[in-house]
Amino acid sequence: MNNLFSIFIGMALINNFILTRFLGLCPFFGVSKKLSSAVSMGVAVILVMAGASAITWVLFFKVLVPFGVDYMSTVIFILVIASLVQIVEISIRRTNITLYNALGIYLPLITTNCAVLGVTFINARSDFTFVETMASAFGAGVGFTLVLAIMSGIRERLELADIPESFEGVPVAFLVAMMLGMAFLAFGGMV
Amino acid sequence: MDSTAILVIVTLTLVGLGCGLAIYLANKFLPEEDETLKAAEKVNQYLPGMDCGACGKPGCFAYARDVAQDLETLQATPCMALMNDDDALGKLGQSLGVDLSGGVRKVAVIHCTGESEVIFDYQGVSTCKSSMQVSAGFKKCPYGCLGLGDCAEVCPVDAISIDREKKIAVIDPERCIGCGLCVKECPNDLIELIPVEMPQYLGCNYLSKKDIPRREKCDVGCIHCRLCVKAAEGDEVKWDDEKDLPYFDPEKSLPAPDSIEKCPRNIIIPRKVK
Repeated sequence: MNNLFSIFIGMALINNFILTRFLGLCPFFGVSKKLSSAVSMGVAVILVMAGASAITWVLFFKVLVPFGVDYMSTVIFILVIASLVQIVEISIRRTNITLYNALGIYLPLITTNCAVLGVTFINARSDFTFVETMASAFGAGVGFTLVLAIMSGIRERLELADIPESFEGVPVAFLVAMMLGMAFLAFGGMV
Repeated sequence: MDSTAILVIVTLTLVGLGCGLAIYLANKFLPEEDETLKAAEKVNQYLPGMDCGACGKPGCFAYARDVAQDLETLQATPCMALMNDDDALGKLGQSLGVDLSGGVRKVAVIHCTGESEVIFDYQGVSTCKSSMQVSAGFKKCPYGCLGLGDCAEVCPVDAISIDREKKIAVIDPERCIGCGLCVKECPNDLIELIPVEMPQYLGCNYLSKKDIPRREKCDVGCIHCRLCVKAAEGDEVKWDDEKDLPYFDPEKSLPAPDSIEKCPRNIIIPRKVK
């Protein structure tokens, strides 16, 4: 249990996907203008990360490794993630229209999100058990959502601030990202 | 071929087939999709599908959903790529059972000349909305254009520029696509969409019925003399009793050259019409 918790915290805060591993930077700047859409994107990422990790864990340790073709993981993982996102999208669209409205266009965007592919690779490389894999995937998603929400909260405030004209928009967002990254460095010695 | 190559091919094929089968099954056995989504799908096939976001929606499908729900969306936030494509527009109209081809192109005008005197030195946040919070703006006229560019900021085609000297926004009618984003943005409701054929518009928005006590009147705006209405031959100029200002019927778009000449303040502004 202790181990699971440290994996979760490690993925969410210490090795945060955005600020420490530099994965998933496109949504970090693209979808962080409004808090509501940032949270929708974050929830979608948590869903897909958990699903993709579960399926790729089974494929990797029960199929690829026993047959000695684990170098095929890249192409297989991409295939699995792309079709998983498709399936999740149509099932949400057909069964729960409210949830579909909330997630909107963010679900298909995740197909090409490097953070999702990243978490499957990290799980495969670290020789996690199935439960550990799920803890790690969930932690990665929560960390991603947390940083996205913090960033969008700051950027909503920045809209109202009197910023020098040449810094308006993305430049000041980059500066804020730098400061956020430095703040997250402080988690370094926790586990 | 050695066994590893065969193994690789077999694994990849099986995983690919498995994924395809899973999508097929999900597609087949899940319940039918919602009616609103089906209607949106019908609209979506005539949209450009570039997801450029110029209409203000997050993508073409989101735009299609809004159009399917409310046809006004096409006028309020037009998809310019669609509007320029007569073929797709005609087909879309056919499938929705309405005629979309004969729409009147509208452009935005600002009902202010910007000549009103600056009476305060405003140093706050540089937007019209903020400056309106401080004793109704820094110009003599509390209803006029402040020229801080809230409208220019939202214009998707850069049709609005700011005249820094006069402190007024200037709309380029050639570039304007009539999307109406600026109309919503202006805190003084100065911007209006008028038909592109309209030969003149009023360059004033002085609301005398909402007069602010102890504030001097604008000395360039409308004096409510109604000479323009008297000079008109027919009913091209009418009087808006609510605003206490003249207006021009957007349905008819008639020219009123005599009224332009008679106006003592020269605030009926002629437009260049092709």
